[in-house]
Amino acid sequence: MSELRPGLPEPTATQITEGFWQAAAEGRLVIQRCRDCGAHRHSPTAACYRCQSQSWDWDEHSGRGRVFSYTWSHHPVHPGLAHLGVYNVSVIELDDTEGDPVRLVSFVTGVEPGELEIDQAVELHFDRVNDETALPVFRPSRTP
Amino acid sequence: MSEPWLSGRAAIVGIGNTAFGKRGEFAERGTFALAVEAIAKACADAGISPQQVDGWASYSDDAATPAALAPAFGCERVRYAGMAWGGGGAGMGGAFLNASMAVATGQADYVVVHRSICQAGGSRFGQALARSDLSASMPEISFTAPFGQLSAAHMFALASRRHMHRFGTSEEQFAEVSINARLMAANNPVARFRDPISVEDHHASRMIADPLRLLDCCMESDVAGAVVVTSAERARDCARDPVYIAAAAMGAPYRWAMGMMGGGNMSDDDFASAGQRTVAEDLYRQSGLGPDDVDVAMIYDHFTPMVLMGLEDFGFCGKGESGDFVQEGRIRLDGALPVNTHGGNLAEVYAHGITHVHEAVRQLRGCANNQVEDARVSLVVGGSGPTPTSAVMLRSES
Repeated sequence: MSELRPGLPEPTATQITEGFWQAAAEGRLVIQRCRDCGAHRHSPTAACYRCQSQSWDWDEHSGRGRVFSYTWSHHPVHPGLAHLGVYNVSVIELDDTEGDPVRLVSFVTGVEPGELEIDQAVELHFDRVNDETALPVFRPSRTP
Repeated sequence: MSEPWLSGRAAIVGIGNTAFGKRGEFAERGTFALAVEAIAKACADAGISPQQVDGWASYSDDAATPAALAPAFGCERVRYAGMAWGGGGAGMGGAFLNASMAVATGQADYVVVHRSICQAGGSRFGQALARSDLSASMPEISFTAPFGQLSAAHMFALASRRHMHRFGTSEEQFAEVSINARLMAANNPVARFRDPISVEDHHASRMIADPLRLLDCCMESDVAGAVVVTSAERARDCARDPVYIAAAAMGAPYRWAMGMMGGGNMSDDDFASAGQRTVAEDLYRQSGLGPDDVDVAMIYDHFTPMVLMGLEDFGFCGKGESGDFVQEGRIRLDGALPVNTHGGNLAEVYAHGITHVHEAVRQLRGCANNQVEDARVSLVVGGSGPTPTSAVMLRSES
């Protein structure tokens, strides 16, 4: 169960996404990269949107990026999540990727409502779910 | 693309719906009984027997299947059965495209488009991906749900926030959509929420998923609606004046994927949109009509900002200009483009868009509660959602 947000659904891996979750469990963010044209893509899928190649590798990413959009959730969607209180869901656009911008749905820790801004620089850390996996999450960038 | 062929070859000849219940109100009747009632009423409106229905088209994985509906009505035979992919009201226009193609090509004589919602038990649309339990998420939502993106409100809040950031769209402008819906519903005796609201009421309603407040979010309902579609030729022999399907289209732009329900890897312009830019292009091309030809529009209003973004996608104003467009009163009944004259999902009932089609048909028949004078062309836009989203263009003349 998530340490930061206990009670949320846990991820389920597939053949294609297994490597992402294994890396996350080891504290690394990996993004799919096309072996032929080099385009990055997320969430993981079976073909390259740019060149249609079905060959790919996992590419480790620094986890540096910017807030692309966000929402503060006030209403508990489920009674079992009332303990979470007000929390953010954020779309993070990663720095230094090849091809179309690469965005992840995640959340930013260490910020209160009103403190989160679009284009704000963020950096990676991890929310431990269990021995097998962790969630790549973000916090305001400490290094300029 | 080849020349438009379908335009005007299919028509709506009957509409029908159940009473509009609060979510869970009709739990003892159940989805299927509601579907049967709505379909029987739509057939009666068309002046045909349900036994004559030989085609079925629905969307959003409707639980009332042709396997159950056709035998329930003693239908002579089934000739066509088509399901449009997509959740919520996204596939609504897709079901009309399927029905139109089926009758225009002679595959079927009378196709019923239907949608039935009866939310008994633990799950509801507003909970979306959380559903009734909070166990491990399905693989396709493992990159969203574990991070807390669970409800439709969360997802559309992300598009709304981006739109505000890029274009200065304001919460007052979101409120106008909700205020307009209540004004329309005040004159609709069957609408569920008929009390007028002010900007202050909107701002005082509790925050759901910032920037979306309670009064930015639609209701949920127990309801069924149905529409009878037939060929333009056959339509002339039905009980009511036909309303012609000038175009129906489904689609999605580049990398739209699950739309706001996914990771947001579409272009920045499409991120802050309803994802209906390409649907609009196809609808206008097929119908030979443009935004200036639309007399009254029904734009899917699960969340107020999605009406603004729909106005942009369909070219009623430029990208980023929808906030000013609505604030100047243009979508009111006396405005240049009256929108959701029945009250929509926000104030009438939540039926995944089928009641938006009903209202467009009433407008073109000249019998709407908030009748737009001399309405001849009505656009009905399905919900922004996963691929495909969709729309229908209706007109009173062939």
